[in-house]
Amino acid sequence: MKKFNYVMKNTFINMRRNPLLVIATMLAVLVSSFLVFTTLSARAIVENNTSRWQNGVHVVIFLDDRVTSTAHKQLQETLENYPEVRMVEYFTKSEAMDEFKILFKDQPELLQEVDFDILPTSLRINLNDPADYKLIIERMEGNAAVKEIRASGEAIERLLSLTNTLVLSASVFAGLIGFAAFILIINTLRLTAYAKKKEIKIMRTIGASSTYIRLPFIFEAIFESLIGTSIAVGLGWGFIQYSKTSFIADSIFDIAISDSYLINLTLILLFSTVLFGFFASFVGIRRALND
Amino acid sequence: MIRLEDVSLVFQGGSVALSNVSTQISEGEFVYLIGHSGSGKSSLLKLLYKEYSATKGSIEVVDMDVTSLPSWKIPLLRRKLGIVTQEPQLLENRTTFENISFALEVLGFDEKEIDEKTNTLIELVDLENSMYKFPNQLSGGEQTRACIARALASNPLLLLCDEPTGNLDPDLSIQIISLLEKINRAGTTVLMATHDSSIVNRRKKRVLQLSNGKLVSDVEKGRYI
Repeated sequence: MKKFNYVMKNTFINMRRNPLLVIATMLAVLVSSFLVFTTLSARAIVENNTSRWQNGVHVVIFLDDRVTSTAHKQLQETLENYPEVRMVEYFTKSEAMDEFKILFKDQPELLQEVDFDILPTSLRINLNDPADYKLIIERMEGNAAVKEIRASGEAIERLLSLTNTLVLSASVFAGLIGFAAFILIINTLRLTAYAKKKEIKIMRTIGASSTYIRLPFIFEAIFESLIGTSIAVGLGWGFIQYSKTSFIADSIFDIAISDSYLINLTLILLFSTVLFGFFASFVGIRRALND
Repeated sequence: MIRLEDVSLVFQGGSVALSNVSTQISEGEFVYLIGHSGSGKSSLLKLLYKEYSATKGSIEVVDMDVTSLPSWKIPLLRRKLGIVTQEPQLLENRTTFENISFALEVLGFDEKEIDEKTNTLIELVDLENSMYKFPNQLSGGEQTRACIARALASNPLLLLCDEPTGNLDPDLSIQIISLLEKINRAGTTVLMATHDSSIVNRRKKRVLQLSNGKLVSDVEKGRYI
């Protein structure tokens, strides 16, 4: 316990020795961790949203009004017999009108001017696997009863692809800043080790173990990283909570992310930070303390 | 306490620091290690506290086989030794009291023990009037005495002194030798490297003489000729 007190005391003395470098290190870790936290959270939110959309309607077939309703029924039966199709819902003109009124309730001028009669009846298809939307489109091509086909799959694919690109870009950026933090930690520790050269020499002569000499340096690196990551995680949680009540939540995205996901992400980030600090300190003082 | 058998030390590049040195020092002895500069005195002391590793031979210090001692056990060996170097290694930003208590702090003593033991050590080396002075306010002799006090913090069985009087005038040197003899009388074995013939000749202790890395004489109540 006495030795632990000594180690902790020296950890904070070391941190006070190069305050600007320590702050720079914490900031670099903070930015890097914040990027990791927010992009991973954002990806989870997008996945949750797209998964919700994917569980809804995947393909909408607008029907040609010129074709008889019997033909419409036959088409519905054909679709229902496809093994890829989970459910087909027949959407009448009047239902289409009700939906239109809800969707454009904020645009009364449009609602006044529109001729609801042009709204087509449609078949709304829910697939077992949303990825099969292309198959349905292929099969419906050339069918006389079909006026137009729209699939949510393409948009979802584009959105997921965009999200993945964003996550990848942010990860590369976070990696670069993380590397900068790594270099900063190494420099901070080496400067401290240089300043304490005489003290370390005396400690060795007295009989202090290498581990005991290294511990304040290891703790310093871990503390600096942990402080940066803790602030980043705090900001990340705050940002997500704010987003839930902000304009973002009123747009197409529902800020749907579970607390358990965020807790796991926080724990993994904090644990990774400890490993990061440990590794950086190991590299930083290896040579300095072996002299 | 110390046993060296056919010990040689050859540095990288082939320069021979010690060649086939064999000797034994018993518990409670006060032994001078003499020789000109470059004769191997410091190298021999460094072998004893495993700062260097012998190229050949076997070394036993305070019942520990130093030759085959793994690096993680070196601190255990050094906790049984007190080491005083020619250049007083004191921390400039700490007072005499803090420099001595630093060793006790590192060794894991609690605050009360540190206070008591530091005061005892300061009294032993007669630095009561300088305990709150910083190293740059101390004379050379006081600095050496502070280093000796720090070396005694772990209650060492063996005190290794590498020319502690090297930078001191004769009067201060006598004071340091008297202090080391006092420590020796209290039971600590002392091995002191020096090339100060006046001290060696006056004190009539056992003398080991090194020349070009070889042990050329080992005389009880010897003289430095």
